[in-house]
Amino acid sequence: MEFNPCMKHQLIRKTVREFAESEIKPHVSTLDRESRFPWDIVEKMKPLNFFGLQVPHALGGAGLDTISYAVVIEELSRVSAAVGLCVTVHNSVGIFPILEFGTDKQIKRFVPPMARGDSIGAFCLTEANAGSDAGGVETHAVEVEDGFILNGTKIFVTNGGVCGTVLVFAVTEGEDRKSNTGVFVIEGDRPGFSVGEIEDLCGMRANPVSSLFFEDCWVPKTNLLGRLGQGIRIGLTALDTGRIGVAAQALGIAQAAFEDSVSYARERQQFNRPLSKFQTIQNYLAEMATAIDASRLLLYRAAAQKDSGRPFSAQASMAKLHCSATARDVTDKAVQIHGGYGYSKEYDVERYFRDAKVTQIYEGTSEVQRMVIANSILSQPR
Amino acid sequence: MSCNRDIWVFGDYRNYFQNRVTLQILARAVDLASKTGGKVCAVVLGHHTDEFVAEYIAHGAQIVYAMDDPRLKSYSIETFSWLMAWLAKKYQPEILLVGATRFGQDMAPRVAKKLNTGLTADCINLEIDENGLLVQIAPSFGGNLIAKIITPVHRPQMATVRPGTFQELPHDNHAPGEVIRPVLPDDLPKDRNRLISSEYRPSKKQKIEDADIVICGGRGMGSKGKFKKLFDLAALMNAEVGATRPVVYSEWASHDALVGQAGKNIKPKILLSFGVSGAIQHTAALIDAKFIVAVNKNPNAAMMKMADVAIVADANQACLGIIKAIREKIRN
Amino acid sequence: MKTSIKKMTGKWKRPKIMLKIIVCIKQVPMVSELPWNPKTGTLKRELAQGMMDPSSARALESALQIKETKGAHITAVTMGPAMAEEILHQAKALGADEGVLLTDPGMAGADTFLTSRILAAFIQEECQGFHLVLCGSQTSDSETAQVGPQLAEELDIPAIGFADQVEINGREVEVHRHVDDFFEILDMDLPGLITVDLSAYKPRYLALGGVEKAFEHPWIRRLSARDLGFDEKFSAVKESPTRIIDVYSPTTQKANRVLKGAVKQVVDQLFEEYGKVISSAMGKDLKTHEHDGV
Repeated sequence: MEFNPCMKHQLIRKTVREFAESEIKPHVSTLDRESRFPWDIVEKMKPLNFFGLQVPHALGGAGLDTISYAVVIEELSRVSAAVGLCVTVHNSVGIFPILEFGTDKQIKRFVPPMARGDSIGAFCLTEANAGSDAGGVETHAVEVEDGFILNGTKIFVTNGGVCGTVLVFAVTEGEDRKSNTGVFVIEGDRPGFSVGEIEDLCGMRANPVSSLFFEDCWVPKTNLLGRLGQGIRIGLTALDTGRIGVAAQALGIAQAAFEDSVSYARERQQFNRPLSKFQTIQNYLAEMATAIDASRLLLYRAAAQKDSGRPFSAQASMAKLHCSATARDVTDKAVQIHGGYGYSKEYDVERYFRDAKVTQIYEGTSEVQRMVIANSILSQPR
Repeated sequence: MSCNRDIWVFGDYRNYFQNRVTLQILARAVDLASKTGGKVCAVVLGHHTDEFVAEYIAHGAQIVYAMDDPRLKSYSIETFSWLMAWLAKKYQPEILLVGATRFGQDMAPRVAKKLNTGLTADCINLEIDENGLLVQIAPSFGGNLIAKIITPVHRPQMATVRPGTFQELPHDNHAPGEVIRPVLPDDLPKDRNRLISSEYRPSKKQKIEDADIVICGGRGMGSKGKFKKLFDLAALMNAEVGATRPVVYSEWASHDALVGQAGKNIKPKILLSFGVSGAIQHTAALIDAKFIVAVNKNPNAAMMKMADVAIVADANQACLGIIKAIREKIRN
Repeated sequence: MKTSIKKMTGKWKRPKIMLKIIVCIKQVPMVSELPWNPKTGTLKRELAQGMMDPSSARALESALQIKETKGAHITAVTMGPAMAEEILHQAKALGADEGVLLTDPGMAGADTFLTSRILAAFIQEECQGFHLVLCGSQTSDSETAQVGPQLAEELDIPAIGFADQVEINGREVEVHRHVDDFFEILDMDLPGLITVDLSAYKPRYLALGGVEKAFEHPWIRRLSARDLGFDEKFSAVKESPTRIIDVYSPTTQKANRVLKGAVKQVVDQLFEEYGKVISSAMGKDLKTHEHDGV
C-alpha cells in the first residue's frame, strides 16, 4: 500500500500554511480573547476558494478531493481552530448535503453563493433535549399548501451567529420516526428565523456558536432537501463527512501544540540543560509524535476511502475518535511541558488545550463514535 | 596574457556625500595591495569629474583611470559596463572591486560576464591568502551562513563590496597620484536603455539601516500603546525604532520599521531589544549589531542568548525604567 | 471559390501579437538553516521542503498583471532538481501558461555565471520571438542579484534592474525604480529583461481552485543539459569560475551577561556596568556612576 503525499497535496498544504501564518496568526490571540469572528480574514479567504473546497469548478468552487480538503482544514486549524471550524462546518455539513441530496435547481440556487463565501453555511441538529439522541428532536415542520412552517429552537449551532444558509433537521407529523424527518434549507433572511445570543464557550471562541430560533418560519416546498423521510439519512451522511473535517481540525491543533512543545523543549533550560535532554520530556515528545502520525494516517485513509466511493462511515468515526483523543492528549502534554508558562495566555498552548476538548464532543461525541464503529463491526457477516 | 597585480576600484561617485563606498573599498585595496604588490587604481567614468579624481587620489588611489566625456554625464548601465570591460581588457588588472550599491550590483555581473570571469556579490570582507589569491567573504542565506570564495584561474578576480564594510582612510591632500585619460573608443555602442528622468529622492529608509542606536520591539511589549513608549526612548537616545514581523502585522508599527527578512538589516553600535523572542527571520538582520542589550521575561528566548547583556524583566517595565534613568542622568 | 468570397466579405482584423513573456523562478529551501556539503560547496537542498523564492514570486506577479491587462503567454522556467517542479505547478495555478524544468545532475551547484548560461541556452533554443524576460532581483538563498544581468548579457538584450513598476507600451517598456536614492524612469525596446524589486508586486495568494486545475493536465516540460546543447559531461561545478572553499555559521562571541531582579535594580546595574558603551553610542555624557565622583 503506497502512502506518499503527492506534490499537489504538498502545494496545497504550503499554500494554506502561508496564508494562515501571514493573515490569521497575528490576530489569533486577540480574536480568542475578544470572542470576535474574523470578518476581515473571511473577506480575504473568499477569493481563494476556502468556502467552496469540494464544490465543482462550474459552481465556483475549488473542486478539491477529500484528502486536499482535510489538508486545508488541518492547516487552518493549526493556526486557528476557530477559523478551521468555520470552514469545515460550512463545507462539510453546510454545502455537502445540498450537493449530495439536492435537485439541480436547489444546487444552482444555494451552492454558488455559499461557494463564494457570500453566505456561510451551518447545520443544526442539536436541541436542548436532543444531543447524542437525535431521536429527541422536537423542532417540527408542518406541511401547508405551498410549503412548510417550522417551529423550534436549535442550540450550539456552529457558525450560528454568522450563517446565511442553514440546514435544519426537523420532524414532521406522524408517529413513524423513519418517515417523518426532513432537512430544510433556511435562508438567513427568512421571516421567523432569528439568532440567539452567542455562547460563551471554553474554546474556539472566535467562532460564533449560538442558538437559532424558528418561530412560524415559512419556507417553500423547494427548500426541502431530498424527500420527507430522508432526514436521518441526510443527517448521518452529513455527519460522516463532517467527521473527517473535525478529525482534521483536531489533528491541526495537535500538530501546533506539538511543534510549540518541541521548540520550547529546545529553548527552556533547567538544571543547566535544555528540557529536551531529559528522558521524560523526550518520551513525551516521542509519544506525541507517534500519536499524531497514527492519527494522520487514519484521517487520510478515511479521506481516501471517501474519494474512492467506498463506504467510509466507520473509518471516518475511527479517524474522529482517534484524532480528537490525540488532540486532547497532546495539548495536555504540551501545557505540561511548558510548565507555568503553559498555563499563561502569553503562550498559545493554553488555547490549544481549551480548543482541543470540544473535538471529542461535537459532531458526535466520542461515545457515539464508538457506537458507530461497534455497529459497523457487529453488522459484518459472521 | 599575464596581468599586472593592480587592484582596480570602480568610482561610484553619484550621491558622493552619502555614498562613501568607493573610498571604503580604496582603503581596503591599499591593504590588499601591500600583500599583492600591485597598485591601487580607481576608475572614474563621467563628465566634469575632476573633483572625484582628486578625492580618490586623496583617499588611497595611486592611479586614476579617468574618462571624461559629455556622453558619460549620467550613469548608464550599458555604457559603463562596456567601458569597464574595455578598460579591463586593455589594462589587465588582477582584481576589480565594485561597491554594492544598486548600480554596482547591476553593473558588476555584466562586466564579469563580458570578461568571462567570476564574481562574488556583497562581500563583507576581502583577504589575500597564502597563494596571493583574493579571498572573497560573503554572506548567503540571509546572513545565516558565510562563504569564503576564490577565483582560482579566471581574471580579473571580481567582487562587489557591501557599503559600510570597510573604513575609509583619512583625506590626504598630499598623496601622490597619477591620472591616465584613455580616449573614448569609436566603437562604443549606443545605449539601449533610455533614461527619461532621474530625481534625487533620498529615502527615509536609510535612517534605521545606518542608525548608531536601534531600539527593537517585539510582541513582548504587550500592546500598541505600550509599544509607543519605545519611540519616547528613541527620542531620548537619538535612536531609530525597529520592529519584528508580528508587531508590524498587528499594526503597532509601520512596515518601514520591520527589521529582518523582507525588512531592513541593521548595524548599530547598540541594539536594545525589548520583548523580542528572537525568531531567525529577525535575528538574521542583527548580525552586524555591535552591542546587544535584550530585555525579555523569558531568560531562554533566543534573543536573550545572542545578547551581550540579557535583562530578565518585563519589556514594558524595563523600557519605562530606562527612560526614567536616562532622563535623570541627563538632568544632572 | 467559396474561400475567396469569404475572404472578401469577412472582416479584416489586425493580427494581435501575443506578448511572449518568460519568467525565471527559483525554488529555495523553506528553512533558514541547512547543512552544507563540503565536497561540492553547496547546500544540501534535498533535506528541506522548498518554496518559491519571494523575489521570483514578485517577478511572476508582475508577469501575471501584464497578462491581465495586455494579454500574454507566460512561460515559467526554473533550473533545479525534480522537486522544483512544484513551483512550476504553483506558477501554472497562478496563471502561467506553461512550465519548463531545466534539470540535470550536471547542473547542480551552478553559480550565477553558469545558471545564466543555461537559462540563456533554453531561451535561445525554445523561446524564439520572446518579448520580455522577468526575474526576481535577488533570491532569498544566495542573494547575489546576478542572474538577471548576466542572463541579459548572454542573450545580448537590454536590461533594467530593480524595477518597482513595469508598463508595456507596444514594443517598448517603461520602468520605474528607486535605486541608490534616485527615483528613475527609464524605457527600453523589447526584447529586453527586467528584474523586479522585492519591494514591489506583492504576490497574490494562490486560490485553491487553481491548484486542482494546475495538476489536472501534465504540462511540465523537462529538459536536460544535452537537450540544451551542452556536452554529455557537462558539470556546472567544474566549469564555474569561482569556487567555495569554506562555509560556516557566523559566530557571535557574546559575553551574555544576565541581569535579574527588580526593574529599578537591573536598570541601575545596566548603567553602572555598561554606561560608558551607552554614553559613547549616544554621543552624550550620561553621568553614570562611573563618572560620578561625588
